[in-house]
Amino acid sequence: MTLNNARLVFWVGALVSAAIFGWMTYDFHQQEEKYAHNSKIDEQVVAGKKVWHKYNCNVCHTILGFGAYYAPDMTKAYYRLGENNIISIVMEPEKVYRDSFRKMPNLGVSEEEARNLVRFLHWTADIENRNWPPQDEKYVKAAKMRADQPANVERTDIVLGTCGGCHSFVNQGRNVAGDFSDLARESSFDRTTLIRFMQDPQSVNPDSDMPPQNVTPETAGIIADFILSLR
Amino acid sequence: MTIQYQSQKVALPYMQLSLLLFILQVVMGLWLACNYAFTLPQGLVDVFSFATSRAIHTNLLVAWMLLGFMGGAYFILPVECERELHSTKIAWLQLILFAGAAVIAVIGFLFGWTQGKPLLEIPVPLDMVIVVAALLFLYNILMTVLRAEKQSVLQWMLVGGVLFLALMYLFGIPFYSSLNADYYYWWWVIHLWVEGAWELITAAIIAFVIIQVTGVNRKVVEKWLYVETGLFLFTGIVGTGHHYYWIGAPHYWLWWGGIFSALEPLPILLMVIDTWLHIRERKNPVVNQLIWVYIVGLALYHFVGAGIWGFIHTLPPINYYTHGSQITVSHGHMAFFGAYALLNLTVFYFALPQFKGIEKYEAKAGYWGFWTMAVSMFFLCLVFGVAGILQVYLERMLDIGYSTAHMMMMFWFKVALFFGVCFLAGVLTTVYHLFTLQPAVEARQG
Repeated sequence: MTLNNARLVFWVGALVSAAIFGWMTYDFHQQEEKYAHNSKIDEQVVAGKKVWHKYNCNVCHTILGFGAYYAPDMTKAYYRLGENNIISIVMEPEKVYRDSFRKMPNLGVSEEEARNLVRFLHWTADIENRNWPPQDEKYVKAAKMRADQPANVERTDIVLGTCGGCHSFVNQGRNVAGDFSDLARESSFDRTTLIRFMQDPQSVNPDSDMPPQNVTPETAGIIADFILSLR
Repeated sequence: MTIQYQSQKVALPYMQLSLLLFILQVVMGLWLACNYAFTLPQGLVDVFSFATSRAIHTNLLVAWMLLGFMGGAYFILPVECERELHSTKIAWLQLILFAGAAVIAVIGFLFGWTQGKPLLEIPVPLDMVIVVAALLFLYNILMTVLRAEKQSVLQWMLVGGVLFLALMYLFGIPFYSSLNADYYYWWWVIHLWVEGAWELITAAIIAFVIIQVTGVNRKVVEKWLYVETGLFLFTGIVGTGHHYYWIGAPHYWLWWGGIFSALEPLPILLMVIDTWLHIRERKNPVVNQLIWVYIVGLALYHFVGAGIWGFIHTLPPINYYTHGSQITVSHGHMAFFGAYALLNLTVFYFALPQFKGIEKYEAKAGYWGFWTMAVSMFFLCLVFGVAGILQVYLERMLDIGYSTAHMMMMFWFKVALFFGVCFLAGVLTTVYHLFTLQPAVEARQG
């Protein structure tokens, strides 16, 4: 090969690839609305994204799989945890993760900031990204089915999809607040109290660290039946 | 062998500072491993979080890499251009600005001053200082090259690489209201640096070192350089798409990103082959065998770490499970060490003896350093890989929860911590050796 041919390889290689990439970048922006629903980005989502940056969240957590791998991925966190839980975790991590093997710093996030952060995470969770991450698909499905057709959901799916962010069952879910089998054995609540507890834990037990859950009475009923069946 | 041009001396503080930051980076890495391996108390986590230490770890990485490239460029350009550098004052100013920005950035991280983007945590005002330093660098090397008697492929490859590097950095600076677009352009910095600009710069530098050390014909090396960098850009630019599988981008990215990135190991394989050929057809005698060990180690480690380790999880059906897991950590460490850390050290082993006018140096500590680093980094990456496979299998395939998977990994991070300490020992030995190079015993006696 002569030097001229080698130079040709360089320029053709670089320019062809750059041209393809340039066109794809143009098309990416054309299709952003379809995949990321950019028109739904309002002031709160932007404010929430600024909160996300301000507290360096992405340098422990991944989002869309990028960032540090120290803490759980936040892409679908909105569906995995729900609004109230995210706010409680962000504002009082030292309580939520008191017994956890890994701690999250208390960064002094205000309630307004936490609410904006939730709006940002809600927008993020709706990005059409081919159902990544795989482990969070069950939460997305459970959340959507709870909203649309609660009758058709498998009971364990709904329980884990709703509560798996903090409770575990047969090694599934994240155990920072107790396994369902243990909870069922230790608790003496009846069905009505269980439902009330899920919606407003402190009204039943003022010392509880569990945040009030965003669940309908129907979903809470399904979860209560599940817990009672474990006794 | 001594330096041929006085202005080459300005490369020395770049290289020395680079080595010191390398040590700090590794120390911070050990602390990160502790975060994974043990349950730290809430009070400690509140004041010195994982995020802060990780930002320091990765920014020190980028800082010592870039200082090494800049020092390397200043060292080789006078010889390559057969004239003094355009200005050593500019080089000093650039060093002060760059190092100053890095120090302020690290102190700022401790107090929560951050842009909040992983790897690009440096806040915008400091970004501006870095841009100024980069422009000074570009101006200085461009003026040196333009006034050279003879223009060479190598000079322009270096200038082009630096221009490419500086341009891509700009895409990381703005605030993007869409996370989707944010990460689209984040990769223009990260991926197009390591798979584009950095490869151009380091390929040019290593081509120079190979010409000097082996004495093979420049024309041959330059031909390889064109073909390799051409292939790097051809596969690497569209290959950026392998980061866009799961961000919410059109479907065809899976194909284009997958195919092009699967070809990314090719140019690295060519580098292995050409290094081997040049060494086989060397014209110069082997004076310091250690630098030959480094050159070969660089080629092989680059291929394994960046090429093979990248290839194994680049295709979409695999990447769906491995994306954003400890497998990426394994690949990241092996690739940065193989492609760039070893490159910088190779250049330092080429340059530093010349500052002292040492022809043949005592190399025993250098060998110890090299092998300790190379072996412990390999085991470290294996351990990260095991942790990653466990994580992927437990969390994503068996759907066992996050905490179960991560608690299982705590053991492996204790093992990682052990190999990290071994690696630090290798780094300290190497840096000590580089700082205290002595003429070889037989040379002193003779």
